[in-house]
Amino acid sequence: MALETSIDQASGRVPITIVALKGELDASNFTELIEDVRRLYEEGSRDLLLDLTDLAFMASSGLVALHSILRLMHGEAPPDPEAGWGALHSLGLDVSGGGTQTEVQLCGPQGPVERVLTRTGLSRLFLIHPDRASAIAAF
Amino acid sequence: MPGATAFPLDGELIAEVLAPFGRMAPALTVTLEVAGSSPRGAEIRADDRLVGWLVPHGDDAGTPVVTAAVAALASVLGRLVAEQHARRQVETELHSLTTEAAAEQHRRIDDELALGRRLQRSFLTMVAPDVPGYEIASHYEQANEVGGDFFDLFRLLRRGRPLSVVVADVTGKGVAAALLMAFARPLIHAAIDNAARAADALERANRVLRERRASLFITALCGTLSLNSGRLRLANAGHESPLLIPHDGSPTRAIESSGSLLGVFPSLGLAETVTDLAPGDVVVFYTDGVTDARSTAGERFNEGRLLAAIEMSRAGTAGDIVDEISAAVDRFQAGTPAADDVTVVAIGRRARRRRAVGLRTSQRGGA
Repeated sequence: MALETSIDQASGRVPITIVALKGELDASNFTELIEDVRRLYEEGSRDLLLDLTDLAFMASSGLVALHSILRLMHGEAPPDPEAGWGALHSLGLDVSGGGTQTEVQLCGPQGPVERVLTRTGLSRLFLIHPDRASAIAAF
Repeated sequence: MPGATAFPLDGELIAEVLAPFGRMAPALTVTLEVAGSSPRGAEIRADDRLVGWLVPHGDDAGTPVVTAAVAALASVLGRLVAEQHARRQVETELHSLTTEAAAEQHRRIDDELALGRRLQRSFLTMVAPDVPGYEIASHYEQANEVGGDFFDLFRLLRRGRPLSVVVADVTGKGVAAALLMAFARPLIHAAIDNAARAADALERANRVLRERRASLFITALCGTLSLNSGRLRLANAGHESPLLIPHDGSPTRAIESSGSLLGVFPSLGLAETVTDLAPGDVVVFYTDGVTDARSTAGERFNEGRLLAAIEMSRAGTAGDIVDEISAAVDRFQAGTPAADDVTVVAIGRRARRRRAVGLRTSQRGGA
């Protein structure tokens, strides 16, 4: 199964760009997702909601995508997902200090995707909401 | 064609009519093939290639004529065809040039990757340490690209010479992942040698990886096994949980413990788990190359098929279990290029001899 990406806009307290993922996020397509978000950032999106409700599977390369997206939305422009960790480390202070960044939030992760996020601890980086409506309200 | 002048077909006249068009489009030649007194029509040639015919129509008297308009049409058609032909030639030449350059580049990259794969294999080709009372088996299959899996099995230098096991996966693939693997493997090894507990070792390795601003993530499972007691202490930094296959036939279960992957957070928050291996118990470690393996139909291998392979082989040795899992993954992803490294390591505590004899006897009795 390939990955389908659909983009939507919503207004909470701030304008929210919603990227809904459907299918499987893996090594074959994670760079495309990063490119999509890079384009959205360049077009002015500053608050991003990743809707994972219909994402059936996420390989470990999906984690690299999530992390790269986080950096992109913080104005970092990693030329490629393997570029380095400086930005995340500066974010990391935030996260480990009990705070969480709010520019990129997630909603609706289902069983397998939720387990990968939890197992790897990457869930520590994101606010994760049960569904789109509650996520929009939280921005 | 109202207003068009009809010319009787005559070689000289046709040459005269067509001459201006020939000058306009040098690549075009329109010739007339005359068979006896009745011409077949005007050939349209582009670069000497016959691309079509214009067949003259007859007048009332049956005399074939070519109108100037028809000749003009032939000229325009011929020019378009000639241009198209020239464009195709240029494209073909360009294509063969770029294909050649790309092939050359691919050859170079392939050579380098082959070298990388050989180097990586040399890190991983290891003789399992001889551990009395235990059987150790492993399987490592490289993906098409240089991958990021690694494992390590070695005896610690402290009292009782416990066995240490590390199974890890650098997320992502390619040379960057392989380089990080080459850096991380001895780092974790040294950390375990110098730390009292597996969790401390992973925390130390994490601090170094963060300082080094290493790219990509590493999930790692690290354990120490006291050989006399069979006590296995495990710390898990975001890796797939190992599976315990109990000797008594009770269900295989995951040994779960939490912790974040390496290289991201200042602290991993590792919880160490303690599992006592009884004689006959086997523990299986694996990487996501097993569960994420994909069939041609697009299905994933998943934990269900992993557990099924274990059920098939759990009556056998650690080696039998590893063989069955790796064969099942191979069969499952046959026909698709392996997307990720596949690593399986099993450690089995040998059943005591007397017990083994008893088991054999009872099996005979049951058959």
